[in-house]
Amino acid sequence: MSKSVDNLEKIRKSLSRRNRAEKRFRFYGVTAVLIGLAAVMLLFTDIVSKGHGAFRIAYLQLDITYDQDLIGIDNLTDPQQLALGNWQAMPKVSLRNQFPDVSGRKDKRSLYGLVSNGAGFDLKDRLLENPLLLGDSETLWVLADDDIDTYYKSWLDGEPYDARLTAKQVAWIHELHDQGKIRLQFNSNLFTRGDSREPEQAGIRGAVMGSLLTLILTLLLSFPIGVSAAIYLEEFAPKNAWTDFIEVNINNLAAVPSIIFGLLGLAIFINFFHVPRSVPIVGGLVLTLMTLPTIIITSRAAIKSVPPSIREAALGMGASKYQMVLHHVLPLALPGMLTGAIIGMAQALGESAPLLMIGMVAFIVDIPGGFSDPATVLPVQIFLWADSPERAFIEKTSAAIMVLLSFLIIMNTSAVWLRKRLERRW
Amino acid sequence: MDKMKFENHYMKQFDEELEEIRTRLMEMGGKVEQQLQNAIRAVSDADSKLAEEVIKEEKFVDEMEVDIDEACILIIARRQPAASDLRLVMMVTKAVNDLERIGDEAKKIANHAVILAGESKTSEGYTEVRHLGQSVVSMLSNALDAFARFDVDAAMRTIEEDKQIDLDYKTALRELVTYMMEDPRSISRAINILWVVRSLERIGDHAKNLCEQIVFVVKGKDIRHQ
Amino acid sequence: MNQNASTAGTKPAKEAKPEAMQTLELTDNEATVGQCFTDKPKMSMRNVNVFYEDKQAIHDVSVDIAKNEVIAMIGPSGCGKSTFLRSLNRMNDTVDGCRVEGKICMDGEDLYAPKLDVVELRARVGMVFQKPNPFPKSIYDNVAYGPKLHGLADSRVDLDEIVEKSLRKASLWDEVKERLHQAGTGLSGGQQQRLCIARAIAVSPEMILMDEPCSALDPIATAKIEELIEELSENFTIAIVTHSMQQAARVSHRTAYFHLGRLIEVNPTEQVFTMPAHRLTEAYITGRFG
Repeated sequence: MSKSVDNLEKIRKSLSRRNRAEKRFRFYGVTAVLIGLAAVMLLFTDIVSKGHGAFRIAYLQLDITYDQDLIGIDNLTDPQQLALGNWQAMPKVSLRNQFPDVSGRKDKRSLYGLVSNGAGFDLKDRLLENPLLLGDSETLWVLADDDIDTYYKSWLDGEPYDARLTAKQVAWIHELHDQGKIRLQFNSNLFTRGDSREPEQAGIRGAVMGSLLTLILTLLLSFPIGVSAAIYLEEFAPKNAWTDFIEVNINNLAAVPSIIFGLLGLAIFINFFHVPRSVPIVGGLVLTLMTLPTIIITSRAAIKSVPPSIREAALGMGASKYQMVLHHVLPLALPGMLTGAIIGMAQALGESAPLLMIGMVAFIVDIPGGFSDPATVLPVQIFLWADSPERAFIEKTSAAIMVLLSFLIIMNTSAVWLRKRLERRW
Repeated sequence: MDKMKFENHYMKQFDEELEEIRTRLMEMGGKVEQQLQNAIRAVSDADSKLAEEVIKEEKFVDEMEVDIDEACILIIARRQPAASDLRLVMMVTKAVNDLERIGDEAKKIANHAVILAGESKTSEGYTEVRHLGQSVVSMLSNALDAFARFDVDAAMRTIEEDKQIDLDYKTALRELVTYMMEDPRSISRAINILWVVRSLERIGDHAKNLCEQIVFVVKGKDIRHQ
Repeated sequence: MNQNASTAGTKPAKEAKPEAMQTLELTDNEATVGQCFTDKPKMSMRNVNVFYEDKQAIHDVSVDIAKNEVIAMIGPSGCGKSTFLRSLNRMNDTVDGCRVEGKICMDGEDLYAPKLDVVELRARVGMVFQKPNPFPKSIYDNVAYGPKLHGLADSRVDLDEIVEKSLRKASLWDEVKERLHQAGTGLSGGQQQRLCIARAIAVSPEMILMDEPCSALDPIATAKIEELIEELSENFTIAIVTHSMQQAARVSHRTAYFHLGRLIEVNPTEQVFTMPAHRLTEAYITGRFG
C-alpha cells in the first residue's frame, strides 16, 4: 500500500518535470518558427521597400511638334528615312521652348539630359501608329531620364539625391514640378520592354519570356523522362548492384552544384553538338539535366507511397505489370509526381549559375519570340542589374526579384493546391 | 504407451481448469467408491446405521455432479477446447453421469440394506452379495485408477472384468432362485438381495462405460457397443 | 522439374493406413500425415519447394485439392501457409528472389510451364487478400475491372449483368445497388472485403485463394464472409489461409496444418479438430507448445 503511494509520489514528481520539458520543447519550436518567419518578413520588407519605386517612373510634360524638317523625313513608309531620322530632336526642341533662357552648349546638354535617350524613339513609335500627326503638334508626357527619376523620387521622399545632377537641372526639375509638368506614373515599360543600358527604359519582358521558354522546354523534357525513369526503376528494374549504383548516382546528382551542370551543358550541347549559345534550347537542356534527379526522386517516392495492397489486387485480378502501373499506380502517384515536377520547375526558375556558363548572361535587348532566339532569364537579369552601376537599377533589381518571387509563390501554391485536389484517400 | 498430458497450454489457466475437472472427477470417484463399499458392508453386516449414512451422503454425490458439469460447460464456452482437450471435457461430462448413477445404485443398495437389517438374521445370499460386491468394487477402483493414469491397457482389462461380473450375477440369480424354491418364507428377503445383486451388476456396467470413455480420450476411438 | 515429376508418384505419403489414423497414432515422421490425395484433383502439388533467396520457405509439400472443396491452411506465423497459397496463382512471381520447385498442376496442366501465361492463370485462380483492398474507384468499376481487363463483356449491358451477378453472389448487391457509382473505399471493412470477393468472382475463376480474409474484420462481418464461403463452395474451389482455428473448423472441408515450412497433416476438418493424427497438429490446435 505504502509502496503504491510512494510510486504515485514519484510519478507526480517526474510528471511535473516532463511537463516542464514539454513546455520548453514547444517554446523552442515556436521560437524557431518565429525566427524563420521574421527572416522571411525582413527579406520581403527589404525587397519591397527597395523595389516598390520601380513600379512608378517620372514623366515630363512636353509640347511636341512632329516637324518634318526637324526630323528629316517626308515619307513614313521609307525604312531608310525612318532609320536615319533625328527623332531625339523633337524632345530637345520642346525642352528649349520650355526653358528659352538656356544657352551655352554645356547647359543645353544638361537640359537635354532631362528626358530619356529613348524618348525620341517612343515619339517615333507614336507617330508611326498615328501617321496623321506628322506636321502637327500635341502635349505629351515623355519619359524622363533615370537620374531625373531617381532625384525626383528621392526628393518626394524627403531625402533628395542629386549627386549626378547639375544645380541647373535641379532647378529645372523644381520649376517643372511647380508647373505640374513632372509627375510619377505607372511604369509599364518594366513589363513591356526588354533590357536596356538606360535604366528608365529597361524592362523584364525579355527575361520573363526567356524564363518561360526555357521552363516550357525543361518541363516538356524532364517530366516525361523523369517519370518514365522513376517508373522503370521502381516497378520494372531488377534489384541488383546496377540499379543500386544508378540509384546512388541519381541521389548524388541531386546534390551536385548547379554550376557543374552549366559546365556540362557548355561542354556537351554547345561545344560538341554545336547548339547556339544563349538560347532557351540550351538553357532548357541544361535545366532538364538539373531538375531530372529531383523529379525522379519525388516520382519514385510518390510511386512507393502507392500501397502494395493495390498492386497485389491488380496483379491478383490478372492485370499485367504494365496494366497495373497504367491503371492504378500512375493515377495514384500522379499528384505526388506533379508536386515534385512543380517544385523542380520552381527550382529551375530560380536557377542562374548554370545559365551563366552557357551564355544566357548576354545583354539582350530584343524580346525572344522562340526557342532559338537569344534570351536571358529572370534570375540572370537580376544578377545583371544588380551588377550595373546606375543607381536606378537598384530598385529595378528589387522589382525583378519581387516578380520572380511571386512566380515562385504561385508555382508552389499551385503544387499544394494540385496535391490537395488530386490526392485520393484509401 | 501414449502419454496424455493436459498441460503446456500457452494459457496456464486452461491447464489449471482441465486439471481441476480431472481432480474433481477423481474426488467424486473416490466418494462414490466409498459409498459403494459402505453400502455393501451395510448389507453384509446388516448395519442399518451405515446404510442410513450412505443414503444421507448420496446428495453430496449429486452436488458434485452438478458442479463438475458446470465447470465443463464453462470450459467449453470460454476455451473452445479442441482435439484431446475436447475429448477430455466430453469424457468428464459423461463419466460424471456414470458416477452419479453408481451413486444412485449405492443408495438403492443401502435402502435394501435397511430393509434386510430389519428382517431375520440368516446369512443366506450374503456370500453372493459379498463376492459380487468385491468384484464390482475392485472393477470400479481399477476403472478410476485407469482414469487417473489414462492407462488404455488397464481400461481394456477392466472392461474384460465386466464379463466375469455378468457371469457371477447370473450365478447369484440362480442361487437366489434356489433359495426361494427351497424356502418360500425367504422369498421377500431373497427378492431384496436380488435387487442388491442387480444394482451391483448395473454398477459394473457403469464402470465399463467409464473405461470406454478412457479409451476414447486417449485413442480418439469410440469403442462403445462393440 | 522432370526429376521431381517422376518421383512424385512413388512417394508414399502415409495414405495407406487409414485404420491406424483412426486409432490416433501420434507420429513424428517428416512425411505428411493424413489424406493428401484424391482421385480427380482440381489442383495437385507434388514435392513443392519454395525458396526466398537461399532461405527455404516450403519443404517438399505434396497435396491435392479436390474440386469444389474448401481447404483451410492453418499453422503458426511464418509456417509458410501464405507462401504456399501464393504459389498456387504465382503471386510469388512478384517477389524478388522467390523460386518455386516441384510440380503444381491445375486440371493436369503445369502452372509453372514456360508457355503458361500468368495473366491467364490469375483469371482462372482469383485471390482475396488479408486487408480489404478495393481500388480507389467506384464499386461498379471495382467489379467491372476484371471483366474489362480480360474482355469478358461484349457490351455495356453484358457488363452491367456481370457486375450485378457478381455482387449478388458476394451477397453485397442489396447493400450497394443504390450507390454503385460511389467509391468502393467508402464501404465498411466487411463490405469492402465482400466487394473484393465480388471482384474476384466477376471473372468466373475456377478457384479462389483467400489469404486470411477475415483477419481485419469484426465478428459479424467475419460471419457474413464465412457464410459466403460456404455458398461459394458450390461453384468454386476455395483454398483459405486463416489464423483462426475456429474459422478453419467452421468453413473448411479439409484442414492442412503447416509447421516450419512443412505440411504436417492434411485431414478432414472434423478429424483434425477432434482427433488430429500428428503430435504437432494436436499441440497447435489445443494451444500448447509442441
